[in-house]
Amino acid sequence: MPISVRLPAMLGGEVVAITERVETIDQLVAALGRARPELTGHLQDTIFNFAVNDEMLLHDVARRPLQDGDVVEIVPAISGG
Amino acid sequence: MGIRDRVARLLSELPKEPQYPAQGRTLFVDLETRDVQSAYTPRRILETLLSGRGANMFYLYRLLDESLFPLHPDIPLIFGSGVLTGIVPSAARGNCTSWAPESGVILDSNCGDYFPSFLRMNGIDHLVLYGRSTQWSLMIIREGEVEWRDAAPYVGLDNIDMRDRIAADLGGVWTRDMSMVNVTRAGENGVLTAGIMGGPKAIYARGGTGAKMASLRLKAIVTLGHTHEFPTPHPYKPYNRQIAQKLLATSVVKHALSRMGTPFLYRPSRLLGAMGTKNNQETTWTDALDAEHIDPYRPGMEGCFRCPVNCRPRNDLHRDPSDRYGRGDGPEYVTLGKFGPNLGIDDVEAVIRLNNICNDLGFDTASTGSAIGWALELFQRGIITTTHTRGLELRWGDPELVEKLLFMTAEREGFGAVLAEGTRAVERGHYPSEALKYRMAVKGLMQSDPHDARILKAFALGLAVATRGMDHLRNRVTLEINAKINDDPAFKEQLYGGPVSAAPNSYVDKELAVRRCENIYAVGDSVGMCRFTTKLFNSPSLPGLEEFSAQIANVTGFSLTPEELDHVGLNVMGVERMINHRLGVTRKDDTLPDRWFDEPNRHGAYKGERIDRAEFDALLSRFYRISNLTEEGIPIDSWRRELEATMNAD
Repeated sequence: MPISVRLPAMLGGEVVAITERVETIDQLVAALGRARPELTGHLQDTIFNFAVNDEMLLHDVARRPLQDGDVVEIVPAISGG
Repeated sequence: MGIRDRVARLLSELPKEPQYPAQGRTLFVDLETRDVQSAYTPRRILETLLSGRGANMFYLYRLLDESLFPLHPDIPLIFGSGVLTGIVPSAARGNCTSWAPESGVILDSNCGDYFPSFLRMNGIDHLVLYGRSTQWSLMIIREGEVEWRDAAPYVGLDNIDMRDRIAADLGGVWTRDMSMVNVTRAGENGVLTAGIMGGPKAIYARGGTGAKMASLRLKAIVTLGHTHEFPTPHPYKPYNRQIAQKLLATSVVKHALSRMGTPFLYRPSRLLGAMGTKNNQETTWTDALDAEHIDPYRPGMEGCFRCPVNCRPRNDLHRDPSDRYGRGDGPEYVTLGKFGPNLGIDDVEAVIRLNNICNDLGFDTASTGSAIGWALELFQRGIITTTHTRGLELRWGDPELVEKLLFMTAEREGFGAVLAEGTRAVERGHYPSEALKYRMAVKGLMQSDPHDARILKAFALGLAVATRGMDHLRNRVTLEINAKINDDPAFKEQLYGGPVSAAPNSYVDKELAVRRCENIYAVGDSVGMCRFTTKLFNSPSLPGLEEFSAQIANVTGFSLTPEELDHVGLNVMGVERMINHRLGVTRKDDTLPDRWFDEPNRHGAYKGERIDRAEFDALLSRFYRISNLTEEGIPIDSWRRELEATMNAD
């Protein structure tokens, strides 16, 4: 099963299926950049963070293992008042 | 010594000439006699505390008589605009300061919209108000001069009607040449969770501002006058353009704030398992309140004076035009959280409508939502019953009930009179003492932010040590939820002035991050910069001490390096702690609600997480040490004497 990447509304809002084999978030980001080159710059932006299967990742993200069928979400993180 | 003697003594020491060309006067307004005197904040205070929140603390320090009580007319209510307010893009803010009737510690609230900038356009930096007017008064500041009107025709008006009537009666145009701060019925009725409205949604919110202003029988202050540029030693517009470009280039502004405002944070908070739900009994809630579900109700965005960001969402529920709460401004993330998950409400339209009602009734949504959530849990647990509520069945997830409670609170009607006491409901004899176990408050102030801080230890420390009570806007280390920063140790060390653990739930070195944030936010409040666009709150790339330093030099001619400004932030906190100490605050008050120590988080990847008492106590001691504070949380002797000398010098 591919890994699904849900983009936030400001990056288009759609779900991108990553079919090439990836084992970590780092590899996923690289694969996503190949699949959608226009996202490459955004993926380095500090506002965009990651959740895997509805779990927010707060640190040690690059080596976070992924499995087939995982749902990865790019989550904008800001504060409020 | 009464307030008039204190003011006279202070006035005899203050300069009668501006300390820099753009400096505005400080007006000392006796509401009982309508006597108005003026002077200027001295340069030594400007260089120690700046203006806005900083100099407000100087005036409170000098004029406070702690033997009285917060609503006594001799306790001043002080408005202050920042050094850069009205001059620099996104610096549209000012503070309102006093002794808080709800919390019993300092009252200090920050607000934007147009009033702080238009006050400066009238040549006024600070307003020190004291004495009780013999009748309800409307204070008008027209081209720098004070006029008075009988406010009797406006008494009983809430925010929507008040703004309509004032615009019609005075002939000004909002956002062009007129601004206002005003109280609503709730303030008039002494509701401790009522604020001072500063616009359709903007509010000086925390600690009971509305009750304080209304206790002086001052219904509103209106400014009238045209905008203008300021005389400065050096040109400031070229650097303003750089600041504006920096703001608009920052991704958090470009992608989130300018498009949708702050409700974005709801989703990461709930995914993290840190969304305060049902008075923090739970920590996650429905995706039905994610920001994207507000999109259909957002016709556009608005902003504060000369702010290029425009982060305030308007809302339209597409209802019958006769429904006065079918449209409005907001909600912000705080209101979304406090009136959504906190009350068990999962209907986005219901939350927006409650937001609009709060804006009209003049409620601090953080304190009001928390007071209602507290009551709902007490009822759920049987600690209060229909005997306490006078027959009302309190249930989670009932927007109609909440709407009814809001109007009852504004009028102090029935159980609304209990909710009107906010955190003080036990002290006033309405709830049994057992209720305190479930009160989500620190230093007598309910938590501002719906984020449950059992996971993020820096956030928890910040809430414990914030000088005005449990509030994220004083020192929140927001970037703790940003994995890209957590995973870049060198960058994180640079941001916080030392190594800080990458793990958000670790206690290691978190005092450094809180100290750095508290300093820069205090400086931001004292120059008038919005918190959303200040470095470290939402992004590491926004304007910070370097930009403030450069523009302070252009506007005032004063040289304050970024390092010196960092110390100014520390000074502001130090004076606030000295005032709080006079009000009885000690180390025992720099703590957190019992729930966060005793009940583990039950959701998400951080299930089981709570605050460890011993670890927290050690963290607090480390925070005190790097903050030049004693083990009781007040400035160490040498620094205290230095600050006292500065505050009292002739």
